[in-house]
Amino acid sequence: MNLILLFFAVITTAYAQGPTLVLLENQVIKETHSIFFRSLQERGYTLTFKIADDSALVLSRYGEYLYKNLIIFAPSVEEFGGSLDLKALTDFIDDGGNMLIAGGNGKGALTELASECGYEIDEEGTFVIDHLNYDVTDEGQHTKLVIPSSNLIDSPVIVGIKRETAPLLYQGTGILAVPENPLILPLLTADSTAYSYNPNQAIDEYPHVVGKSTVLIAALQARNNARVVFSGSLSFFSDEFFTSPVQKAQDGELVAVSGNQDVAIAISQWVFKEHGQLRVRSVKHHRVGESKPPQAYTIMEEVVYTTNIDILEDGQWKPFNANDIQLEFVRIDPFVRITLQRKPTGEYEAKFKIPDVYGVYQFKVDYDRVGYTRLFSSTQVSVRPLQHTQYERFITSAYPYYTGAFSMMLGVFLFSFVFLHLKEDEGKKTKHD
Amino acid sequence: MAQITSVVSRFYNEYKNKTPKKLKVIDAYLLYILLTGIVQFGYCLLVGTFPFNSFLSGFISCVSCFVLGVCLRLQANPENKSQFAGISPERGFADFIFAHIVLHLVVMNFIG
Repeated sequence: MNLILLFFAVITTAYAQGPTLVLLENQVIKETHSIFFRSLQERGYTLTFKIADDSALVLSRYGEYLYKNLIIFAPSVEEFGGSLDLKALTDFIDDGGNMLIAGGNGKGALTELASECGYEIDEEGTFVIDHLNYDVTDEGQHTKLVIPSSNLIDSPVIVGIKRETAPLLYQGTGILAVPENPLILPLLTADSTAYSYNPNQAIDEYPHVVGKSTVLIAALQARNNARVVFSGSLSFFSDEFFTSPVQKAQDGELVAVSGNQDVAIAISQWVFKEHGQLRVRSVKHHRVGESKPPQAYTIMEEVVYTTNIDILEDGQWKPFNANDIQLEFVRIDPFVRITLQRKPTGEYEAKFKIPDVYGVYQFKVDYDRVGYTRLFSSTQVSVRPLQHTQYERFITSAYPYYTGAFSMMLGVFLFSFVFLHLKEDEGKKTKHD
Repeated sequence: MAQITSVVSRFYNEYKNKTPKKLKVIDAYLLYILLTGIVQFGYCLLVGTFPFNSFLSGFISCVSCFVLGVCLRLQANPENKSQFAGISPERGFADFIFAHIVLHLVVMNFIG
């Protein structure tokens, strides 16, 4: 019995995810989004529920963060309570914390946070409207949209396999992602017939975002690999949308359950780094036929580079399998760039010849793919020129030059005899070569 | 055409009769150096510059020998006696040999 208890203790610690703070608009959201929260708790997250303007909110104490993850389900909060101002939230991201934010109405704390992350939320009271792709249960404003799963980002590690996902329900504001920002990923975009505007007003100016550029769920993976997901719709994560059937009002094919639950859970797994986290476990390099790295390499030597790359799966580091990881041998510019070959043992290996240029080089692996944390490893080595004893002697093709130089010596030798002899005896005949 | 041949034959005869034997020996030596240099350069054009240090030392040794030979010829020429008043012909020849020793040491170091 004790053994079984111990076993369970080990399992739960192995699966324990980071402590998570959930900020809610009001306590009702805890009930209306219970499926989402329960799935998090079942995966081992310790959820701490707080109201968003609770005056006792703290993220860190004595310089240590109390939480690893933050969920904000409070669309209309003007200002967070306690010490949670914009600076505290951006510092949290800068220090590697992950955030899932849903809802937002164009004013208040969330909008500022969003613009810090490189998104722009449309103004207060606006919804994404699509007069062609709305659900049958829509109440006349065409804001409860049916989004085909093909509009999801093409990355199974973030949103799951999108071909197997049912259509999604969405109701909320649109997001404009800054296109110049390469760290932002549009996870879900609207159809080309959608636009974002206040449904109660006549349209008298061009909408903030239209068509495919309307981002519904946006993600940011910062340079420190902190992840921030911003969804314009809070109801995307609600029990109602998780369980309701989907039927487009226009052509009316009924799907029993929406794909919201699958996608929401996949996104939560990604944003809290259960998926797509890579690391370099070891790096080895040496000359071909040796096993230890030398003090310095010599130009034109054959070198072997071996590395182990792991991915976090179910709380454990397992060998990562990919065929597009490249190694660069860099001295300011890359001199060699080759694809690492995966061996049956799970190691990645590359063999190459050091170029005929000496200097201080780095072995660099820089693997940056959508959905995965940025993998970067650099190892510095020095490459020296040949020692003067290592050069070739008596090169065959240089024999004419050797002969030339020696014949010059011989020439001056013979010439001096002739010249001196001639001086003594001017009248005599001399012969020369 | 006839003029050119007459000029050439006159030049040849003048050279044959009026040039001292000593200078003729030096001229033959210079010709030999010139031919060796041309052969080396042609070979380099033919096979490429791979042992570049060897080519340089071989070719430069020819060029320097030529220059030293010309210098010796200037000093040995009786017509230039006035210009080298303080230097005896023996001294000139010793300088020539000394320069050659330095040159060939350098060439041997550099040839590879």
